[in-house]
Amino acid sequence: MNQSPVVFKGIKGGLKVYINADSDIEQIMGELEKKIKGSKHFFGNSQINLIFTGRRLTPQQQQNIVDLISREIEVGSITFEMANIGLPSADHFESFDGIEEGMTRFVRGTVRNGQRIYYEGNVVVIGDVNPGGEIIAGGNILVMGTLRGVAHAGATGNHNAVVVAFSLQPTQVRIGGIIARPPEDDAVKPSYPEIAYVKDNILVIEPYLPGKGK
Amino acid sequence: MGEVIVITSGKGGVGKTTTTANIGAALALAGKKVVLVDADIGLRNLDVVMGLENRIVYDLVDVVEKVCRLKQALIKDKRFEGLYLLPAAQTKDKTAVSPQQMQELCQQLKEEFDYVLIDCPAGIEQGFKNAIAGADSAIVVTVPEVSAVRDADRIIGLLAANELMDPKLIINRIRIDMVKRGDMMNIDDTIDILGIDLLGVVPDDEKVVISTNKGEPAVLDEGSLAGQAYRNIARRLMGENVPIMDLEMDEGFLAKLKRWFSMSKKRSY
Repeated sequence: MNQSPVVFKGIKGGLKVYINADSDIEQIMGELEKKIKGSKHFFGNSQINLIFTGRRLTPQQQQNIVDLISREIEVGSITFEMANIGLPSADHFESFDGIEEGMTRFVRGTVRNGQRIYYEGNVVVIGDVNPGGEIIAGGNILVMGTLRGVAHAGATGNHNAVVVAFSLQPTQVRIGGIIARPPEDDAVKPSYPEIAYVKDNILVIEPYLPGKGK
Repeated sequence: MGEVIVITSGKGGVGKTTTTANIGAALALAGKKVVLVDADIGLRNLDVVMGLENRIVYDLVDVVEKVCRLKQALIKDKRFEGLYLLPAAQTKDKTAVSPQQMQELCQQLKEEFDYVLIDCPAGIEQGFKNAIAGADSAIVVTVPEVSAVRDADRIIGLLAANELMDPKLIINRIRIDMVKRGDMMNIDDTIDILGIDLLGVVPDDEKVVISTNKGEPAVLDEGSLAGQAYRNIARRLMGENVPIMDLEMDEGFLAKLKRWFSMSKKRSY
């Protein structure tokens, strides 16, 4: 979880600035200032377009960022993209089409209460996802441990995405726009791996190894 | 050079202060030089639990603001050789000190003491950030309740984000009769979710309430089960290998515990 508070990525016609949702605003501003100052010569006098995403910012915080940047460099435009933050919707992102073969983020260790992993591609957690932890992925979600928190696969609209866990005991599973929660009276914890997928607009959970859970 | 250990939980009322007082007293009984630091500024309790309230002249904020010298604020507990308390201020709040100042304070304290135990306030805000700032390691206290375990999990995540890896777990106030009836979360389930090493299990013991109200740490009471559990925890902190007390648990538990300990040892590939 030790990501840099601010990450720059080149995109067509400008730079996309990813802001880590877990960092404080002071940290973000500090890091932003350092990065902008450090790369002043790189920006030069080119009018660059900046798009900020990854974290919800108040109008005041947005203004502070605009002030900070325009003090240091020449900018073409500054855009704040944040309508999609939280629960991403299909109309904001292109649906992720790499569930057979595509970008994947590997998370080492347990995703604990209060932590959220958000990624446009597939997510593999090498550990557990505890209650209060959330995984939101554009593609598939694989948990190589126990999934007790919330998993949202295909969050950008791909209903072919799946959620797989060695032990599937989630608070909630979402695939695309379909939300399911475990039955209230489900006292028996499955001791075998399971897969959740969408079939005829219904979320189905079943074991995926032959001979298990029958 | 000593070790700074923060005792934290996230949730309030799970026994952080009692745990701090008892582990501190037990370490002092074992001949270590220990200082207990109350980081709960504005809601100080550790002095009351230790029965040292009436001896406070200066406090942590006075030390940080250099109103007094560190030595002047330290209260020596006369019942234990080598046990000192640095009380919190009661008329200020958490913003009275900064993480930076706490780091300096801890640095100063660990030059003189074998163990610096910091009693962390509940919550995850400024008080928590102050309390963990100078710590070398952490002990997470929880009770076998779903909400306390949830908060402990959150705290473990926050500790890791602040580079306090591999905290140790104390499960406090467990009632074996209730666990046996299936009315209380058992130790296995708790460790399974939190996934950190178990430092000790403290049984629910009326004697703790009595001794806390009297301002006498339970470790002084030879007949107290909780006192025994705290003495064992102190020995484990000093590196001794003490088995978890048999609280009439079934064999499945001990077997699983062993498995947990062996799993927690990092394997090299």
